[in-house]
Amino acid sequence: MPEKKDLQKDNEDIRIGVYTCYCGGNISDIVDCEKVRELTETLPNVVVSRTDMSMCSDAGQAMIEEDIRKHGVNRVVIGACAPSLHEQTFRGAVARAGLNPFLYYHVGIREQDSWVHHGNHEAATEKAIVLMNSGLAKARLLKPLKPIKLTAQKHALVIGGGVAGLRSAWDIANQDIKVTLVEKSPFLGGRMAQLETVFPTNKPARDSLHELIEKVIDHPSITIHTQAEVKSMSGYIGDFNIKIEQISRGVSSELADQEAVIDSCPVEVSDEFNYGLKTRKAIYQAYPGNFPSTLAIDWENCTLCGKCEKVNSSGIDLKKKSEIIDVNVGAVVVATGFKPYEPRQGEYGYGDFKEVITLPQMIRLLALNGKDKALMFKGRTVRNIGLIHCVGSRHVPGIHEPQEDGKVNDYCSRVCCTATLHMTNDIRQHYPDVNMYDVYEDIRTYGRNHEEYYKQASENLVRFVRFQAAEGPQVFASENGNDQPLVIKTKDYLTAGLDIEIPVDLVVLSVGFMPNPIEELTKILKINPGNDRFLQEVHPKLRPVETAVSGIILAGTAQGPMNIQESVTAASAAASKVSVLLGQGQVELEPFVADVDHDKCNGSGECVQVCPYEDAISLEEVTINGKVCKRAVVIPANCVGCGSCVSACPNRAIDIQGWTLGQYESMVDAIAEGMLALEVSA
Amino acid sequence: MATNKIKVDALVVGGGISGMQTALDLADQGYQVALVEKEASIGGKMIALSKVFPTLDCCSCITTPKMSAVAHQENITLLTYCEVDHIKQNGKGFIVGATNKPRYVDMDLCTGCRQCEYVCPVDLKNPFDNNLGAIRAIRVPFSTAVPQKVVLDIDNCILCGKCQTACAVDAIDFTQQPEEIMIETDSILLATGFEVTPKDAKKEYGNGKLLNVIDGLDMERLLAPTGPYGHVLRPSDGKEPDSIAYVQCAGSRDETLGVEYCSRVCCMYAIKQAMLLSGALPLADITIYYMDIRAFGKGYEQFYQNAKAMGIQFIKGKVAKIKEDENQNPVFRVEMVDEGGSVVEHTHDLAVLSVGMLPSFDPTPIFNVPNDTDGFIMTPDQNFSASLTMIPGIFAAGAATGPMDIVDSIMTAGSAASAASAYIKSQQNGKEESSSKIADLQKESQHA
Amino acid sequence: MSDKQTKKEKMQILKELREQYADSVAKTQAHLKEQQSARRLLKKAMKTGPMTVPEIAEAVNLPSDEVLWHIVAMKKYDLVTEVGQDGEYYKYALPVKEKKS
Ligand SMILES: Cc1cc2nc3c(=O)[nH]c(=O)nc-3n(C[C@H](O)[C@H](O)[C@H](O)COP(=O)(O)OP(=O)(O)OC[C@H]3O[C@@H](n4cnc5c(N)ncnc54)[C@H](O)[C@@H]3O)c2cc1C
Ligand SMILES: Cc1cc2nc3c(=O)[nH]c(=O)nc-3n(C[C@H](O)[C@H](O)[C@H](O)COP(=O)(O)OP(=O)(O)OC[C@H]3O[C@@H](n4cnc5c(N)ncnc54)[C@H](O)[C@@H]3O)c2cc1C
Ligand code: SF4
Ligand code: SF4
Repeated sequence: MPEKKDLQKDNEDIRIGVYTCYCGGNISDIVDCEKVRELTETLPNVVVSRTDMSMCSDAGQAMIEEDIRKHGVNRVVIGACAPSLHEQTFRGAVARAGLNPFLYYHVGIREQDSWVHHGNHEAATEKAIVLMNSGLAKARLLKPLKPIKLTAQKHALVIGGGVAGLRSAWDIANQDIKVTLVEKSPFLGGRMAQLETVFPTNKPARDSLHELIEKVIDHPSITIHTQAEVKSMSGYIGDFNIKIEQISRGVSSELADQEAVIDSCPVEVSDEFNYGLKTRKAIYQAYPGNFPSTLAIDWENCTLCGKCEKVNSSGIDLKKKSEIIDVNVGAVVVATGFKPYEPRQGEYGYGDFKEVITLPQMIRLLALNGKDKALMFKGRTVRNIGLIHCVGSRHVPGIHEPQEDGKVNDYCSRVCCTATLHMTNDIRQHYPDVNMYDVYEDIRTYGRNHEEYYKQASENLVRFVRFQAAEGPQVFASENGNDQPLVIKTKDYLTAGLDIEIPVDLVVLSVGFMPNPIEELTKILKINPGNDRFLQEVHPKLRPVETAVSGIILAGTAQGPMNIQESVTAASAAASKVSVLLGQGQVELEPFVADVDHDKCNGSGECVQVCPYEDAISLEEVTINGKVCKRAVVIPANCVGCGSCVSACPNRAIDIQGWTLGQYESMVDAIAEGMLALEVSA
Repeated sequence: MATNKIKVDALVVGGGISGMQTALDLADQGYQVALVEKEASIGGKMIALSKVFPTLDCCSCITTPKMSAVAHQENITLLTYCEVDHIKQNGKGFIVGATNKPRYVDMDLCTGCRQCEYVCPVDLKNPFDNNLGAIRAIRVPFSTAVPQKVVLDIDNCILCGKCQTACAVDAIDFTQQPEEIMIETDSILLATGFEVTPKDAKKEYGNGKLLNVIDGLDMERLLAPTGPYGHVLRPSDGKEPDSIAYVQCAGSRDETLGVEYCSRVCCMYAIKQAMLLSGALPLADITIYYMDIRAFGKGYEQFYQNAKAMGIQFIKGKVAKIKEDENQNPVFRVEMVDEGGSVVEHTHDLAVLSVGMLPSFDPTPIFNVPNDTDGFIMTPDQNFSASLTMIPGIFAAGAATGPMDIVDSIMTAGSAASAASAYIKSQQNGKEESSSKIADLQKESQHA
Repeated sequence: MSDKQTKKEKMQILKELREQYADSVAKTQAHLKEQQSARRLLKKAMKTGPMTVPEIAEAVNLPSDEVLWHIVAMKKYDLVTEVGQDGEYYKYALPVKEKKS
């Protein structure tokens, strides 16, 4: 390792600057920061010890920089919030002052001390001192390190071909970065294709969607794979190796006799595009005008009877083929979307009564019914509709039954309120005589121009009934002799909690959002869902589109409920992040990786066996003092610094740079000493 | 008047969280960015907040590093205390004229030591504390300001010259004049944010005259660790309040004020403040009068449910009027919706108006960037181009495009940066396809 | 500043500015005068020991919100310190004068 030598100055005089942050009271309200300062000031190698209201502020950073420049501080110890928040900030400050940024060590005295020891100022202060002392012990042993710089592929993978994935792909491609888009189903567009006019533009959903799809298809830098899924991933930001499984479509191109081919298929399955209101064949299109326009075979339901092939033998190939495609990308955007909540059997009568349907079904029903004639459902004219909000959303433990996985859907799905009211306006416009009852908890028309739909609904004489979670509505069959088959019973808190009964022909459940089932994919990408099962971002306020795995970015409803505007905005923001990461053609990784001392290593290989990562450590032939022998060699880019090899090495030949065994030992010793000193003094 | 000229790829107007994020997203891609902020420090509204929903991160802890990142990003030219005067189309780009207002301090010399501030005899109401606290006529705007330099308020100065004598580096310069800057840029991003509904907008709520009727931003300052009183006290007499009540939708969803939209953040900040208050004043009763609680964001509903579990009272009711009793306690007249509309009177120690968000900057006098009927910047297509304006090459982010919270501001910042980058690229590479489509969309809707 | 102003030049500049800004200077001076007289009263009243805002307000016959503001302003620049609580109100006192060394 010749590089390291020139970074290192031997026998250098260690001069430590210690900085204890008040964190605007977050720390100083509990910990006596001035006492921490006074005590650390007297410790060996410490040349300055300071406090500040907010060390991360520009003034705080400037103070540290000044100490490095003017007082020759060459090791920095900062006691403040968690390193996850500001380590980067302070590394920047240290580097600006001309010091190697890894000669700084961060001690968390907020999350690990002041926030958890509220009632006990004295003990919290003692703990802070002990922690700082151990930080100092480490700081004395810090060595300069260099971040690992790697070239980045100017190529991104987008997973999911809904509106979010499509928009991400287009935006990324416009930043001169190549894109591979993978869609699991045979058709592009996702859930948006199933909508008719959408809020808040009132434009037909598929018109705008098709415009986007056409642009994506035409873009020279975008490659699209439908009926494809990601099967494995290795590598790291800037250089992920992805294997995509592509299933054959079964149909080679647009068929002239498309109708006859479809008609020939004897299989009838529930049509997911119409949420089961209709059936479709096993050779099918999602809807007329879908993209790509070629029919596809639904391999799960096709019986391979060969009837369609008889109608058109040249265009159809009933041999299902699968092909693995390798792509090498710098970043991955996950845009796998959502599925509407499926109510439990019996939930508000769903499954028990055929007249209970969901909002997405209702949107399809309206589309299939056609306008300007009576609204019909299963052969009956619909005159009274009851709409129930928050089905599968805003669940309260103890009131609502948990889902199969034991969790309650305790989040608001944010789209359903506006979507429901938008639909009532549609209904009023085309079926002026239908009565509508909107049974809600809170109306959340929060977005730009959304309130308009609420206003219109009131003007349209939609009758609002307000329930409280603990006393939600119930759906029953009507007593015999009633015109309407169902009745909704609820307490109405717009009329002082009166018990009311609403006879209806149709109950529409405003179901919420659930993430698509992507457990396998999350395992492959090593990303995590949050408590609500949607994919989790690194920081819900400041870094909303990044995941904990650098280079893997989120877009759209895979992350949580969103409407189209929000999905599209998130998709563009994701594209921006990809461009920031890959645009310069280079990425930087932290240098906290395994480092083998070839003088101590005897090539026994225990490390290689325990390493859980591919290609991170291996035995290679090296020449030492003219002799060729086997030694463990680390490929820094593949090493995550987990330390498994460190513990396996019988010769103590391996260390994680920046976290060496020697450093650990010194820290533990310092803590033990500190505890002892406290005991003695007590 | 001396004129400085700079040439950049993008000009960001407004240094709140949206503007900062937009500037960083572009600068991190290698673009040259100028960031113009009219105040003496960047940070926007966010730097004045206490903690943020729903994470309860301390606001200054998460804003200051962003401010610092902006100041240290080499590709960003930061122009504070600077205002845009005119914009001229220049091919597909723009020439922008801006004025650097005189701070009466030499920015290169000032070290931010605040010696001048300590000797200044004039105490003024501190705008950073929403006028609740005090500050001197010459001051660092607030403790974590970026840049960390003083600014002199010439309109409230007695010109005694004490500051000049106190300054060790002779940085104070009473001869400073406004300075003109010409910015040649390929694109402009408007991130000019919002203002809150003025307290006197609703005459029924005391017309802005009642001392113990404060607004959400006032409460943010009272709760902030660097707040004016150091505690939550009511402004009339410094009493620690026992009973605090919130009025939701105070200035939003209100046709009589011409503000029909929902301001999106006030439900959540009221819940957040209520939680922080029950931490700061464990014995106090906290009531929130609301019509709908709109906890729609990720993790927000859970936050709301936690607040309910903590004992914060949520009452569905319309506050018709607030007056004051002889002890300056606000007296509420409430129509109790949950109880069938009966009208009752409740007395509290302190009332907080959950005021809404109004647009802060109207670009039309400077350049024809049309606004929508709600006063926020108009976008050609809400669903597909929320960060475009009607003018090709001009983009918008954050609360300038409508009420939104911090995370949404950051999202729109990313999306605006993405759109701007495509536009700049197409101009500089002479490649048409990508941005011409954006431009098409903008033109189409202009005609629509 | 490239060319430093001499003391005399500075005085001259200030004098000219005071003419230019005569109105606002006069307004601010009036504000300052009021501020100073209020502060004198406050300090005098507080000599008797720690007091709450309403107590001070009564002693000096000023509205309690104005008193609060003065206290807050003085506290910010260390001219007043907070010393504990009396029921719902905090108590404030003049800082103990450190012995001059
Ligand atoms: C009833 C209802 C009405 C609505 N009305 C409106 C409205 O009026 N206005 C509005 O703005 N919004 C509306 N929305 C919201 C809108 O539908 C969503 O915001 C939008 O569709 C989200 O797009 P997406 O790309 O994030 O997800 P999706 O549309 O779900 O797309 C995800 C895509 O990823 C694919 N995928 C999933 N898993 C994988 C995998 N492992 N590998 C590869 N691909 C995969 C899926 O097949 C799908 O094509 C409504 C939603 C509902 C439920
Ligand atoms: C009481 C209250 C509490 C809140 N609490 C939270 C919370 O807990 N969590 C949360 O997520 N959100 C919260 N918010 C919302 C949050 O404040 C906003 O989302 C955020 O500040 C918007 O940022 P912005 O950059 O778009 O606008 P702003 O913060 O308003 O920034 C705009 C900037 O542009 C500058 N500017 C304006 N015009 C010009 C011009 N012509 N030239 C140059 N510069 C100009 C302004 O000076 C300002 O610095 C709260 C809001 C309020 C009112
Ligand atoms: S958007 Fe409305 S219906 Fe949907 S979960 Fe939220 S409150 Fe319930
Ligand atoms: S967020 Fe809540 S308080 Fe604010 S306007 Fe909307 S409904 Fe009213």
